Amino acid sequence: MSQSRENKTILQLERVSRFYRTRGNVFRGGGRLVVALNEINLSLRAGEIFGLVGESGSGKTTCGRLIVRLEEADQGCITLNGEDITHLKGKKLRDYRRQVQMVFQDPYQSLNPQVTIADSVAEPLITNKVGSPLDHMERVLKVLNTAGLSPAEDYVYRFPHQLSGGQRQRVAIARAIILEPSLLVADEPTSMLDASYSAQIFEILQGVRDKMGATIMFITHSMASARYLCDRIGVIYRGHLVEQGPAEQVINAPRHPYTKALIDATPKFGRAAEVPTYGTLLAAERPATTSAGCPFFRRCALAERLLCAGTYPPWHQVGPGQVALCHLLEDAAPAVNSG
Amino acid sequence: MALLTVENLGIGYQTAKGLLKAVDGVNFTLEPGHSLGLVGESGCGKTTIGMALMGLLPPNGRITEGRIILDGLEISAMSEDELRKVRWNKVSMIFQAAMNALNPVKRISAQMAEAIQVHRPEVDDHQAMERVEGLFNLVGLPLERLYDFPHQYSGGMKQRAIIAMALALNPKLVIADEPTTALDVIVQDQILKETKELQRQFNIGIIFISHDISIVADVCHQIGVMYAGQLVESGPAEEVFFNSQHPYTQALVRSFPTLAGPKTKLAPIPGEPPNLTGTIPGCRFCDRCPKDTASCKLDHPQWRQVGPGHHVLCDHC
Repeated sequence: MSQSRENKTILQLERVSRFYRTRGNVFRGGGRLVVALNEINLSLRAGEIFGLVGESGSGKTTCGRLIVRLEEADQGCITLNGEDITHLKGKKLRDYRRQVQMVFQDPYQSLNPQVTIADSVAEPLITNKVGSPLDHMERVLKVLNTAGLSPAEDYVYRFPHQLSGGQRQRVAIARAIILEPSLLVADEPTSMLDASYSAQIFEILQGVRDKMGATIMFITHSMASARYLCDRIGVIYRGHLVEQGPAEQVINAPRHPYTKALIDATPKFGRAAEVPTYGTLLAAERPATTSAGCPFFRRCALAERLLCAGTYPPWHQVGPGQVALCHLLEDAAPAVNSG
Repeated sequence: MALLTVENLGIGYQTAKGLLKAVDGVNFTLEPGHSLGLVGESGCGKTTIGMALMGLLPPNGRITEGRIILDGLEISAMSEDELRKVRWNKVSMIFQAAMNALNPVKRISAQMAEAIQVHRPEVDDHQAMERVEGLFNLVGLPLERLYDFPHQYSGGMKQRAIIAMALALNPKLVIADEPTTALDVIVQDQILKETKELQRQFNIGIIFISHDISIVADVCHQIGVMYAGQLVESGPAEEVFFNSQHPYTQALVRSFPTLAGPKTKLAPIPGEPPNLTGTIPGCRFCDRCPKDTASCKLDHPQWRQVGPGHHVLCDHC
């Protein structure tokens, strides 16, 4: 896998937070505040595939939605190529969306069942008034081929129900890349598919990066997929980024207890001997004492000190380009933040 | 004696385009307390086999040939009334996405007690509740959550409740159809470990249906790989996984990313499985196979033994 060609930062998230308020009721007024993302610092380099890994509810999808601006961050700042896009509106937002596209998790829901594949894929061209209707079809065919649906002529007049899940997801990718975005957010594009189709989707995403030069944020819960596809990985737990670094390094030498727990939980394929077992996940959650402590305190088997319960952990530099958010890394040098 | 014997099983669905042979010529046996993993992509017939074992084929589906013998009883020849006595008592099923099948307006404990009393009318309410409490302890659900509604449970807890329900009447065989697909990696890992432990403890036979060969290889004693309605390779899990012979199994294993070992290029399987209406004269994997020769398309491939208990349906292995 080629490293990113240049180290230019394309996307930057600085202390980005997002809160949701649960629905209140008549007697208690407004609902509880839920922190979906807590002061996330991230930067994506041009031409890389960045994996955001975490379990459901960890905020990884929210992070993707903030980047494509389906939602707006409550705090912090998101920049694309140095331009602040956190609160873009109107025409500027439309222009922004031409550069940043998203592939959604479920291809059974993301395609309109009443519209042919050709029309579905050409829709971004029409809404953005790109090209003439005459060359739309040409572009659709080209992009379907790129997305691995060939011969593309066989697919253009079909409807989504005539395609398998894997083919639908490829249509969804075609639709996302037809405007040649510089950044693609792929939200668990393989989790609804048969495992045997994932390899195809990975290959297409690599092609999109290599041939179109797009940067990709790949959101997943599978460490094994992230290892295969990504240059760098960020691990997110309940809205807190806890570890970040080069993919190979994070998986072979994880330092945060949660990263270790994720690796423990991955099926080892009979290769258990080659991957150490870390045992960092507590069997039963311990009660939280305060909300100020480490986000992973309640499930961390290593945490026992007052320190973990009482104060928010600092960032530590644990390897070249690898940082982890944990109190128990005294051997490592402190780092400013993850971004 | 084998707990379950499936002989030359064929299952067809009557469709507008003719009979669709979802399962064709499948043979396997399962010893008591053992687990068999059926792997394959969607549409390969693995869920259909599971449904047939429960006698729950949809109205347009029927067993066209072969026999299913569970614990000496021929399931495939039973009437609906007889089946009802076998179901849940001897064989139970964890359905796909079953966590969404819990009744949203009934408390978990009431649903479990109902499952028990429907199949064992002699059990009174008090005994049923005692059994439910026992099951809660068994699968690691806290007793204070007995009277919760399903929406108050997390995904993993719902799945545990479903597993508890499947074990309610001490069945000899449990069919688990993609039991962890909707769950997170960490919860999935916990549930798989617990399932393995329960199986050992109660000597239950398990048929584990999944599209994810890595999970099946982790959990099961035996693996059966299915393709387009046929079993194409079967044998001990380690053998099938590390010494796979059928080109489809090899492709399946190669198409998965792993955490360890060299980071080899994944090889996606090109193409799509064949349409199963009508007859297919030769090998079904032919169109996607790297090893195919002209003769593959003409004749049915034959089963051959490639190791102890390890069989392959391919003429070129």
